[in-house]
Amino acid sequence: MRFVDTVKTASAGLRHAKVRSLLTILGIVIGIASVMLLMSIGTSAERLIVDQVERFGSNLISIQPGGSSSSRFSPPPAVLGIVIKTLNERDLDTIRREPSVAGVSAEVRGSARVIFENNDLATTYIGVTGEYFDIINLEFESGGRFTPFDDDSAAPVAILGPGLADELFGERNPIGKTIRIKDKTFRVVGVISAEGLGLLGSAMSDMVLIPMSVAQKQLLGINYYNEIAVKAADGYDVEFVKSRIISLLRQNHRITDPDKDDFTVRTQAEALDLLGTVTSVLTLFLTAIASISLIVGGIGVMNIMLVSVVERTREIGLRKAVGATNRDILMQFLVEAIMLSIVGGIAGIALGALLAAGVYVAVTQFSTFDWAFAMPASAILSAVLVASVTGIIFGLYPARRAAQKAPIEALRYE
Amino acid sequence: MIHAERLVKDYATGGARTRALDHVNITIDPGEFVAIMGPSGSGKSTLLHILSFLERPTEGAYQFGGRDMTSLADADLAGIRNRELGFVFQSFNLLGRSSVYENVELPLLYSAVPPRERKAKVERAVGAVGLTDKLLVEASRLSGGQKQRVAIARALVNDPQVIFADEPTGNLDSASGAQVMEILERLNNEGRTIILVTHETYTAEYADRHIRLRDGKIESDSKPGKRRTGIDGFFK
Repeated sequence: MRFVDTVKTASAGLRHAKVRSLLTILGIVIGIASVMLLMSIGTSAERLIVDQVERFGSNLISIQPGGSSSSRFSPPPAVLGIVIKTLNERDLDTIRREPSVAGVSAEVRGSARVIFENNDLATTYIGVTGEYFDIINLEFESGGRFTPFDDDSAAPVAILGPGLADELFGERNPIGKTIRIKDKTFRVVGVISAEGLGLLGSAMSDMVLIPMSVAQKQLLGINYYNEIAVKAADGYDVEFVKSRIISLLRQNHRITDPDKDDFTVRTQAEALDLLGTVTSVLTLFLTAIASISLIVGGIGVMNIMLVSVVERTREIGLRKAVGATNRDILMQFLVEAIMLSIVGGIAGIALGALLAAGVYVAVTQFSTFDWAFAMPASAILSAVLVASVTGIIFGLYPARRAAQKAPIEALRYE
Repeated sequence: MIHAERLVKDYATGGARTRALDHVNITIDPGEFVAIMGPSGSGKSTLLHILSFLERPTEGAYQFGGRDMTSLADADLAGIRNRELGFVFQSFNLLGRSSVYENVELPLLYSAVPPRERKAKVERAVGAVGLTDKLLVEASRLSGGQKQRVAIARALVNDPQVIFADEPTGNLDSASGAQVMEILERLNNEGRTIILVTHETYTAEYADRHIRLRDGKIESDSKPGKRRTGIDGFFK
């Protein structure tokens, strides 16, 4: 039998049982759609993260107190909440003098209640040096940054995250108003724009930025830093700058054994790499879970094909009587299963794309994320491939059962 | 044309062996109209199935057109069924959801007939059974007699030498039965060999040779000549 005729015969077989065919492919549709959706979301999330990190400068280097093992997956101790006091003002000054460094800024963090009139909120304050705003590209909704001079003079000024400003002041303009943190009065000089925050949004939205000197000396009473951010100078390789920082800090801390570093230096690229790995693993994991529904769908196809083979036993007998070979019958039923799966696959791709578009609309409508719609060609291609393979795997057994029926046994079947 | 010797067919049913055919010798010449008769369980259908390669004998030798059939593979037998044999069954065995055209075209799909030649062949076969006006009608919408005529057209479409008919009038009223027998007679007059299984004496009387089976053995093999002919002959 010519392949064209096999396809025509198979599609006629499916057309004659429309409702059943539609119900059968539903499993495949759902399976493929969920795989597509998750792959799409994974890709979009990855792009978003890359965009965000690049927006804040791909030439950024972060220094955190405490050493970490060489594996990029092991976090520095500070991340785990362990207080380490190894980064200080001397380190900041040393790095500032390094020619390959364009700018450097330090951070400390603390928790306190922020009070404006009758509003009282628990929040995190971040003390930053004046250069912070030269390194991190923040956009302001109103007002602006404070300067290194404000830091040096311990000026009681504060910059609010958009969420915090909203909760404390509502419709009112916060600029020039005074708030209280730990019984100290601060004048609000700026409000960060939510749009500019991107992925940092949720983290920074409810925070308040104050000068380092005020945070360190007046609120916390410490003389170390929680983090130092460095911007590499133009024309210098970030990896080179990183190695310079490491050797400068080792000199400062009198460290000779590299395994005993009491600080961790990470470039933006490494952070990006780590995030990329995390999202990839997560996407893969979710896709694997979604694939289970595809297997269930495949079993559905097999089940219906087995029923169909039994129901059409007499048809098989007749076809054999008029000259169909075992191979003809095998191909007919196999092509039916593959067609079911491919049609299901295509419908699944369409549904998956539709759902991904829904996610796009929801995310862009209800958040400030710069979410991009992604439907990678590789995902579409692999969906079609997976659907066909599902059809072959789960169609082969019923098709073989059909092909092996003896013509007269099949004709006698009641 | 057909020459079989010592044909034996055993069936295993629930541990016991039943002998459906017991050393049957049979020779059928080209152009004969043979009626195989006998009570139910006599082995007449089994003999037809073996002669038409739908089933293999347990023992015995079978030559068709001078070729030894016992050693051929399933695929070769399928090819011979397709090109050289036609089948008419008691229960029609049409694809109910397919049109008359598609049903008659079926054997052509399994042969090497180029698509452009198929249409002419189908139309000729359907014309021969007088159903040209029903060509695109779904088979399940036809009457019993019309269904059997479609089945005959399907048997004819590849222009076979031999047509096997297994109780072709068994499910039909007299008028339809008469039409079917008239068509088979006409095909025989055109030179085709017809091998008919029946338990009805009046359909057997269209044949020129009667083979009676009993308990898997040939009881009698006679050539009384045709006693009935044409549609009118059916009602004599």
